[in-house]
Amino acid sequence: MLENYGNSQNSQNPCQLKAMTSVNIRALLLFSAIFRVILILYGEWQDSHMEVRYTDVDYLVFSDAASLMASGDSPYKRTTYRYSPLLAFLLIPNAIIHRSWGKFLFSASDLLVGFFIRSILKLRRVPENLCTYSVMIWLLNPFTFTIGTRGNCEPIVCAVILWIIICLMNGNVLQAAFWYGLVVHFRIYPIIYALPIILILDSNFFHSGQKPFLSYWTAGHGKTTQSSTDATYHYNMQNVLTKIFTRQRVMFGLVSAIVFFSFTGLFFYLYGWAFLHEALLYHLTRTDPRHNFSVYFYHIYLHYEKEISVLEKFISFLPQFMVQLVLISCFAQDFPICFFVQTVAFVAFNKVITAQYFVWFFCLLPLILPWSSMKLKWEGICCFSVWMGAQIHWLMWGYMLEFKGKNVFLQLWMASLVFLAANTLVLIMIIRHHRYSPVFRHLELKSSKNSVKLE
Amino acid sequence: MESYHGEYGSLLDSDFQDFIARGLPSGLCGMLPDDLPRLSVLQQNLIGEGSHRLLSSSIRLNIEPKSLTKLPTHSCEVILIERLPIGVFADPFELQHLLQRGVFNNIAVFGDTNLELPSFLSNHSVVEVHMDVGPNLLISHKNGPYINIALPLHARYPPLDASGYSRVKFGAPDVFMCCSIEGNSPNQSCLFSPTGDGAELGSGEIVWRIPAGRKTHAEVVSIVTFISAIVSTLFIVLASIFYSKAIPYKTLKQS
Repeated sequence: MLENYGNSQNSQNPCQLKAMTSVNIRALLLFSAIFRVILILYGEWQDSHMEVRYTDVDYLVFSDAASLMASGDSPYKRTTYRYSPLLAFLLIPNAIIHRSWGKFLFSASDLLVGFFIRSILKLRRVPENLCTYSVMIWLLNPFTFTIGTRGNCEPIVCAVILWIIICLMNGNVLQAAFWYGLVVHFRIYPIIYALPIILILDSNFFHSGQKPFLSYWTAGHGKTTQSSTDATYHYNMQNVLTKIFTRQRVMFGLVSAIVFFSFTGLFFYLYGWAFLHEALLYHLTRTDPRHNFSVYFYHIYLHYEKEISVLEKFISFLPQFMVQLVLISCFAQDFPICFFVQTVAFVAFNKVITAQYFVWFFCLLPLILPWSSMKLKWEGICCFSVWMGAQIHWLMWGYMLEFKGKNVFLQLWMASLVFLAANTLVLIMIIRHHRYSPVFRHLELKSSKNSVKLE
Repeated sequence: MESYHGEYGSLLDSDFQDFIARGLPSGLCGMLPDDLPRLSVLQQNLIGEGSHRLLSSSIRLNIEPKSLTKLPTHSCEVILIERLPIGVFADPFELQHLLQRGVFNNIAVFGDTNLELPSFLSNHSVVEVHMDVGPNLLISHKNGPYINIALPLHARYPPLDASGYSRVKFGAPDVFMCCSIEGNSPNQSCLFSPTGDGAELGSGEIVWRIPAGRKTHAEVVSIVTFISAIVSTLFIVLASIFYSKAIPYKTLKQS
């Protein structure tokens, strides 16, 4: 779909081209910033004047935990605070300056994500109009601007993940490792990116003291392009076994592990077992029987009174494990699409799914769109409608259960099956239309390449 | 104001009744017994549908009109103690929010306030509500003034039930009135336990029907869930292998 816009350099529709390029990135960021400020102010008004709050319940939890920390207490005295103490630390100004400080911080991270998306696409020489369009997909997405302005902390995680991608693309392995260790401490799910990152830190791409060479965007048609065949890394077992312990890989693994354990150790020393239980173990063992988008919710509720056997746990983990492994094997070198499909699959097969998890892959979607041959009409619209439709269908049954008190557990569970099917379908469609293009090129091939200019 | 539950840990009904029977200070207000307002719960209702409802308690004050002027209404308050059954809980943070908006004079929840656990892993809890008896809060009714207290409650996930619903029954609340007299001695408080008619419920027993999972579904749900997960996995795996450009070695050789 976006290739059509990219090809519009020679298009028959100059008006469309002019319209796209006139929306420059600065104007877009400024508009998005002003809009978010207005939303935050509106949120404050709604909180004090209406029964239903605009602010997310979680934000109040963070704020309370931050006040506790500001007065020298443990943030875990606040029930349902299930995050790293770093978050409470970041929100201490909530107690000192104004309670909206956190929302401004999260919205600023959200804008930073937009900026990073543009940086990443620019590094790969994506045309300006495609860049702007991709950034708009993030900044103007209603889900995005509500999540930051309501006080959800996910934009910070997204910003860090994108920063890690930028560091890797610039060859700053140490910095990437530091932020990676930090983000895994903060939110455990980025651990799924460990294997693809390790795989791309190949000695063919990374030499010390030299920036890696990136493969650039081309307006290719169809599923293969000329540049990718030269640059494609032959991923096979032989390479993995012979070159597995490269310097970059060892450094990355070591530094990120040190950072992770240092922060974890520090907070364990400060806050004890409460920290470990609430911030780490809870997320790893969470089996919430309350209804949510996950297909497993009803199964968990029906078996909540019984002990879950090891075999059952293994069987429920198997689909997740297999999907992650195959996706990594197939897409690791084109790591934006790899991260994206891994995240979608991770969320879809998780035991608990809440709407805030969607932002984990929404921030990666703009990174893959320039390489997608999916047309907006009708494939794009179809994917979007199917995914949204399945959600709305689930929400309808959820409303009947929670707000009308009808026993519709079976229907709600079937709606979650439909949602899993929708996720699977959309994932397959995206994979099918994606033009696989590994991010890095072999360093030895540089001398033989004469068609692409280097920086 | 006194908080009874600070003095003892148990929330069992029998312990609570003993505590009441041992006596609470009363009748120190320097008023004639006839002038003591009588409290009786007019009606309790569960308003709303679904898992989030309001427990509305209307408390009638039987006061002689001429005693109204003698009653130190500016410093009297009604105390409602609602002992919640296991399947239901009150969210302390929500109640704090209401307190900040001035809906109640004071409110506290004791006991199990875990917002997330299902019923069978939970325990009793008790909500104590203090509500000012001021002239503007007394609603006129043909039988005399009464006060309305609405408590937001939430249902926990109940144990499985073959009928598909779990029935949670509410017991009668305890209602007290506490007044402070200014002038004689500062901070003196007195307490009347319900007199006269006693705490009689005008309405019948309150029952909350909460949807519950059915055990008969267990096997089918588990099997179908795992089959769907496996089928989805297979589709994704096949699509990845088929459409990925990394695995097929031969396409690279062709270039």
